[in-house]
Amino acid sequence: MTTQDLIEKIGLKPLSKFEHRKVNGVFVSDMLSDVMASAKSGNLWLTVQTHKSIVPAANLVDVSAILITGGKEVPQETVDLASKYSIAILSTELPTFELVGKLYGLGLGSK
Amino acid sequence: MRGAKRRSNLDVQRLLRPDFIGARNDNIKTFTSFELVYLDSKSKATIVEIKMIRDALEASVIEGEDRLDAMVEQVYASDLMSDVLAFGRPNSILLTGLATQQAVISAHMAEFKGVVFIRGKKPKDGSEKFARDNHLVLLSTELDMYDACLRIDSAKRRMYPETKTSSVGQKTEEMLLSHEFSIQGNDFTNAGMVSTEVKSILKKIGLDPKLIRRVAISTYEGEMNVVMHAQRAKVNLWVTPKLIEVTIEDEGKGIPDVELAMQEGFTTATEEMRAMGFGSGMGLPNIKKNSDELEIKSEVGKGTILQMRFFI
Repeated sequence: MTTQDLIEKIGLKPLSKFEHRKVNGVFVSDMLSDVMASAKSGNLWLTVQTHKSIVPAANLVDVSAILITGGKEVPQETVDLASKYSIAILSTELPTFELVGKLYGLGLGSK
Repeated sequence: MRGAKRRSNLDVQRLLRPDFIGARNDNIKTFTSFELVYLDSKSKATIVEIKMIRDALEASVIEGEDRLDAMVEQVYASDLMSDVLAFGRPNSILLTGLATQQAVISAHMAEFKGVVFIRGKKPKDGSEKFARDNHLVLLSTELDMYDACLRIDSAKRRMYPETKTSSVGQKTEEMLLSHEFSIQGNDFTNAGMVSTEVKSILKKIGLDPKLIRRVAISTYEGEMNVVMHAQRAKVNLWVTPKLIEVTIEDEGKGIPDVELAMQEGFTTATEEMRAMGFGSGMGLPNIKKNSDELEIKSEVGKGTILQMRFFI
């Protein structure tokens, strides 16, 4: 399953400039230290945090993409910084719970 | 770029086997290239910054002042450009008396990082522009070829003494590179940029990605602690062939009880910070988990010093 597959299958909206990659599992958290501690390389990170600091966190942990749920608006600053480091920021109107259901249905686990 | 790929241990072994070097020498009468590699007990190849070569030769920078931290593995000394193209390896630097654009173009074709012109020569043609456009460093040294080679070799020997008894603490003997950064307290806009820079630097050297991740995460948590709880801080990154050390020294309120601060879930973050997703109380525990050695010294009302070590 790649980021490209997910965008097409679920209908996610890409916001930043990035290269598609394989997605290994899903990580859901709005606490950055949590992400630093437990997210794995290649994870799809679901969050409602949209401030700039999510970009270095995503970069350092090497997630495959950040997915902003609930239709939360992402400031241009964050998108620009993400594009600079080729970090994928995707967006969806769906709330986290529904998204997780869909991802689980597609066979993605937490690993 | 071919040369930018991280070398596997297998590649390194092939590079350093005597018959490999010997085979190349069979084709040429004189040995015109030497390796800036140091074999430690684990047979890992190491590389140096162009800055070190500039200092060793007391060279002036014609072009590429901002690229002196680029890494090179080999010095190729020659005035024959077809030799450079035939035998030069990527990530080398060319030492030559041919002060023309031809030398710069040849170096570029061979995927070198730069050119050093000897005997004070400086190319008069479009070399500077070509170098700038293709991200090459151009240096000029007053020394002649022989002396330049000697100087680089002895500088290399000072950095990597043949005796392998260098201990982990001797930073000045083995220093591969050292960088300094600063963090501004309460600057959430730029929070995470220093650790991102550290990650890029370590990636450039070609270290193990898992090791880089541990260093990056630890540096990030240290950086966030400064942004959240201190006024400002100085960050030092030291890399030797055996060890990576990151030190974060801040001016701030300090930690009254370090043991308490190390407990998972304990945080002094404000409501505002928590709204941004910080302050889950995992910062110091994350650093402890990811580093091989951690030392915390703190004085209330003065500041905190975090020393993290990662063995390569």
